[in-house]
Amino acid sequence: MENKVEDKAMVLVLIALSLIGVLAVYSVDPLRGEGWGESLFSRQIIWNLIGWVAFLFFSQIDYYQLVKRGWLWYFLMVLSLGAVLIFGEGDETGSRRWLFSQSVQPSEGAKVALALFLAHYFSEQRESFDFWPLLIKSGILSFIPLVLIFEEPDLGSSLVLLVIWLGALFVCGFSAKKWAVIGGIGGGLLPLSWVFLEDYQKDRLLSFIDPGRDPLGSGYHILQSQIAIGAGGFTGQGWLSGTQSQLYFLPARHTDFIFASWCEQLGFLGGMVIIFLLGLLSYLFLVVALHSPNLEGKILASLLGISLIFQWTVNIGINLGVMPVTGIALPFISYGGSSLVVNLASAGLVYNISKSGGKESWKLWI
Amino acid sequence: MWNDEIQERVNQRITYLSRLFLIILILLSFRFWYLSVLQGDWYKQKSEQNRVRIFSLPPIRGSIYDRNNQVLAEDIPRFRLIFEKGGVEVEEIEKRVERILGRELSPPFPERAVGEIILVDQLSMEEVVKIEEAQNELPGVIVESYPVRHYPCGEPFAHAVGYVGKINAEELKMLRSEGYEMEDRIGKTGVELEYESLLRGEKGYRRIEVNALGKVVGVLDYRPPYFKNSVVLTLDRELQEYSYDLLGNKNGVIIVGDPYTGELFALVSKPSFDPQLLSWGMSTEEWNALSQNKDRPLTNRPLQAIYPPGSLFKLVIATGALEEGLTGRNRKIFCPGFLDYNEWRYPCWRRGGHGSVGIEEAIAQSCNVTFYTLGLELGPDKIINWANRLGVGQPSGIDLPGEKTGFLPTPEWKKRQLKEMWYPGDTINLSIGQGYLLVTPLEMYRVVSSIATRGEVYEPHILKKVLDSKGEVVREITPVLQDRIELRNETWESLIRGMEEVVNSGTGRVCRGLPVKLAAKTGTAQNPQGEDHSWFSGFFPSSHPQVAFLVLIEHGGDGSGEAAQTARKLIEWWEENRGGKSGK
Repeated sequence: MENKVEDKAMVLVLIALSLIGVLAVYSVDPLRGEGWGESLFSRQIIWNLIGWVAFLFFSQIDYYQLVKRGWLWYFLMVLSLGAVLIFGEGDETGSRRWLFSQSVQPSEGAKVALALFLAHYFSEQRESFDFWPLLIKSGILSFIPLVLIFEEPDLGSSLVLLVIWLGALFVCGFSAKKWAVIGGIGGGLLPLSWVFLEDYQKDRLLSFIDPGRDPLGSGYHILQSQIAIGAGGFTGQGWLSGTQSQLYFLPARHTDFIFASWCEQLGFLGGMVIIFLLGLLSYLFLVVALHSPNLEGKILASLLGISLIFQWTVNIGINLGVMPVTGIALPFISYGGSSLVVNLASAGLVYNISKSGGKESWKLWI
Repeated sequence: MWNDEIQERVNQRITYLSRLFLIILILLSFRFWYLSVLQGDWYKQKSEQNRVRIFSLPPIRGSIYDRNNQVLAEDIPRFRLIFEKGGVEVEEIEKRVERILGRELSPPFPERAVGEIILVDQLSMEEVVKIEEAQNELPGVIVESYPVRHYPCGEPFAHAVGYVGKINAEELKMLRSEGYEMEDRIGKTGVELEYESLLRGEKGYRRIEVNALGKVVGVLDYRPPYFKNSVVLTLDRELQEYSYDLLGNKNGVIIVGDPYTGELFALVSKPSFDPQLLSWGMSTEEWNALSQNKDRPLTNRPLQAIYPPGSLFKLVIATGALEEGLTGRNRKIFCPGFLDYNEWRYPCWRRGGHGSVGIEEAIAQSCNVTFYTLGLELGPDKIINWANRLGVGQPSGIDLPGEKTGFLPTPEWKKRQLKEMWYPGDTINLSIGQGYLLVTPLEMYRVVSSIATRGEVYEPHILKKVLDSKGEVVREITPVLQDRIELRNETWESLIRGMEEVVNSGTGRVCRGLPVKLAAKTGTAQNPQGEDHSWFSGFFPSSHPQVAFLVLIEHGGDGSGEAAQTARKLIEWWEENRGGKSGK
């Protein structure tokens, strides 16, 4: 079958993003000079290769078969998240997010697993759209992994799950009245949720409201990131230049604040390249959702699109100082294996949906 | 199962979603544009501030030389040990430094700037070498040199040269606009204060690039501090030191200068203090002891202390009387040893009296009765007028801070302040320089030096030349003729002859037989504090004066004694060492 324009575009955009990701990690890699095995960017390259294998794999598997097994992914997700809380390994921030000696971050996989599950769950009950029971049941089911991730704690990823669930309600046509009720309850619970936030998360929220509050403490990230982007100006300070990232003033410069490091070096122009590519990719996800011949495909592609859009716009919003620091990585660019592989895998899923419901795809063996 | 209605609704929602997405995209791009393009410059500055630290390096002060280019004050380097926090713990570094230097440090260490502490304030050269050799063990430890003020001559010059100290809050408030900062040194008194702007020098700086951990990445820019100007004074180091020693353990004043230029060769004030201690910082107790000492060692006596002039003031009375025509070569006044006036008896210092004396002899013998008589005839107003005319009670304009003027009492003053009328007895006291009259030594020096020049009054000064940093003369001080006192020639002649006779046959006979012809006047000032102050002031050679001088010894007894003897030694020294010329 002939490939559509958007499929080709999607592959090209993904390749470009992968390359930019490797370059961006390289540019701020403190271990750049340490040789192949040691450096961060070499690992990023390896994860990219794994990620592309995942992309090819998922682009060839019939997504419909995957959606059908929605409950399986759901249980695997809850199981692995539970395992993280029990056996999980901490990282430098003190959160337990890892399994298998810091090689797998189940919360990343949860983002796809929940999308698959909700695509299944909602399309199974398409007659109940816009009914309270479906809303409540799906809500409870979504909040179980959400709370598990929140407990790690990983505020960013649990917010992604929340957005995926809300996205499912939205796409499946829940009425404005119900949104108002959800909004009302959510707004009412917001002050209560303050109690559940860790101190450092509260600090970040307060610092977002007033970055000058504690410029060397929690406001530091926001300020340094804005300084880096601002100092980059229109064309940037030059490749591998830029004192904010090279002299370590910018924290998490290879992960959450990689966008700021990139912009310090390559300026507004360089930053717009990333925004353009991610914007185009997000648009393609939504186009695929629109064109999908079946509800499963529509919901799955939209949820993966929403998840993608949420993650990258929030990440760049954090970098630009318009959103509070919540620990969300920039998809495809930030250093980190799990996120990269999962993102490429979900792109593979969308690619597969695009190829007309995967009729020519391999059949699943499970 | 799959119906169009659901599909329609889902598609519609996806369209909404893409619109929402588009709005977010546009907002983000605007914010991005705002931050990186519109506010870029501001953030660039911020990023500079992040990485660049500027260390200001204290300026090197210009030196102060005497007229023969001997050093009176100069900056010498000292070394201190700085530690930039960030790498090794302070306690660990402290241990290592203690081991290397073989001595205990004294925490807590003062924090000079953010993340920067002073481990040792004063390192010897040997210790500097030890530290440099062990540099590998001491990351973040820096040997820093800084200038301190050195006063090789110490006490004799303490008042004239002054001293420097850390700028205080008030000075800083006033001078911040001129670039002074905390911890800066500033002249506190003397030449150091008077010529602060010349001596101050220029600050240097070091711009250092640091990373987020405070680790120094490199030096971006360095400008060494430098000095702008040195000054050469008219003071003569050897003369000053000799004069200071001449006073021995007595307190007093010696002023030596050139009456025709206003240059001062010596300006001695005793007791003195160690300017070194003051500029290197002393404890509060030491400071209190110094500033509350009843002998007032901090006072620059020649221009800040006031005394009754005693018989020295008779020169003023004589001038007035001669000019007013009350006396001349022919008038003689009989001195029986006292003057009876309104039932009071005012004694002459010589009980037996001087007999019949003319004005010149009266000066020579310092005959009180003559001056009582002339003073009464002049009256207080004229006496004050003549005193003013000769410069008493007026600031001399000397280039040193804190000059005071004496006090000339008038009948109006007495009425106003003491609610008493002016009695003839007051005039009588005034005539011999006693009573309410007070003068600074410099004022009397000016009176005598004006007689030496027959009326040419030059502004006294101690700055001779200003040099630039290469030692080239950029400014030479020329004499400033402040005033010309027009008197009849006979008046000058009488005054000078009288003063010559002081030495030949009068109260200053101690100085007779010097190789150079001297004109001088003694003074014995009664004072409430104790024994009389001893004055002796004059000039030589009397025919064409090159040097004027004044010696005041507090509680030195009568002027013919201690002060005159001191003056004699001074003149002998001068003749021997300065060969009768002014200056070398």
